[in-house]
Amino acid sequence: MTTISTRPHRETGDPHWIEWVTGTVSALLVIAMIGWIGLEALMEEDLPPEFAVTITGRAAVEGGHRVEFEIFNRANQTAAAVVVRGEVIDGGQAVEEADITFDYVPAESKASGAILFLQDPGEREIRIRALGYTDP
Amino acid sequence: MSSVTRGQPTDISPSRHLLVGLGRGAAGAMLFGMPMLMTMELWQLGFYIDGFRLFLLLTVNIPLLIVLADRIGFEHTSTWQEAIRDATIAYGLGIVMSGLVLALLGDLEPHMPFSEIIGKIAIQAVPASIGALLGRSQLGGQAGSDESSDEEGRQGKGKEGDAVPDEMSTSYSRELFLMAVGALFLSLNVAPTEEIILISFKMTPWHALMTVVISIAIMHGFVYAVAFKGAHELGENTPRWHALIRFTLPGYMVAMLISLYVLWTFGRLDDSAATQALMSAIVLAFPGAIGAAAARLIL
Repeated sequence: MTTISTRPHRETGDPHWIEWVTGTVSALLVIAMIGWIGLEALMEEDLPPEFAVTITGRAAVEGGHRVEFEIFNRANQTAAAVVVRGEVIDGGQAVEEADITFDYVPAESKASGAILFLQDPGEREIRIRALGYTDP
Repeated sequence: MSSVTRGQPTDISPSRHLLVGLGRGAAGAMLFGMPMLMTMELWQLGFYIDGFRLFLLLTVNIPLLIVLADRIGFEHTSTWQEAIRDATIAYGLGIVMSGLVLALLGDLEPHMPFSEIIGKIAIQAVPASIGALLGRSQLGGQAGSDESSDEEGRQGKGKEGDAVPDEMSTSYSRELFLMAVGALFLSLNVAPTEEIILISFKMTPWHALMTVVISIAIMHGFVYAVAFKGAHELGENTPRWHALIRFTLPGYMVAMLISLYVLWTFGRLDDSAATQALMSAIVLAFPGAIGAAAARLIL
């Protein structure tokens, strides 16, 4: 209990047990959080961003063909301004390409987006890869 | 002019009293809401925020305003009905002021889809409505002849042991609630900006560790060490670490939870790894903790 009087406030000397329970639980949580981050700080070796792209969906849309994909950054450093290029491959040649830019692909996280091709890739191979990134 | 000559300065009619209250609320809504009203990310959030999350935020704001109104209010409220009335007025003022300012800034156009206009106003109404309530209580203290009568009224009531007594025992949960309001307010201010996640991306875990420690230290210092007006004193027999365990650490956890909630509401945690989400929350809990500590002093 806190006694709010005509200032200054004074905490009472004999608190309710709830206060101690909340306090203890909070203290444990703070310690756990510090422990987790601390472990992360000690164990972590800085790995530059590394991407894996998975195509998650394809659909015909008005004026083209949409290819949805996810890009996963498996390293523990975040990449910014990630340029991703999608290509439709026909006979080893890229017949159409489109670029998009992700603001961020956070560490150990994924980001999703879609590329709009003019032509329907059909059976042809679709190649999506990251061209480059900047450090945030 | 005629009203000035007719009305007596010491005796203010109830309608004028209400108008002054509304004016202060509107001023508070603008004062506290302006940083957010002029943040680009919040305009954009108005149309890409997840509908359910926006609905939840708007719903959570209702009980929050009612309890806050009960605590500080447009008037010194004594009943829940009055608190609900004040909360409604504050929410309404928040919506109206957000709409007016957004329209003034050219951010609302007639050709926009209705849902976008509603979304933009709704998301701004939350901080603006908190501001409207705070404006009444914080701006009210400065000057004005009606404030002195207000003050007299309060003291009179206090003697009768009615309404807001001079000495009020706040429950522990209420103290935590105030911290949550303070944290929510400051978090809402900064959470939508891209900088919060950018900072968490740039930080190493070491930075995050220091931020946690410094946030807690600032929170504790704000309330107990630096002698601000309204600072809390410890009883003479109470060891210093008691307050740290009982108030500061739970307060920091409240700030962290609010951070996570606000980040989730704004879709900043989607697809993020747990560590990354925690880092963002730690960054946001830094201003949140200061807001929580300030709320304990101000409110």
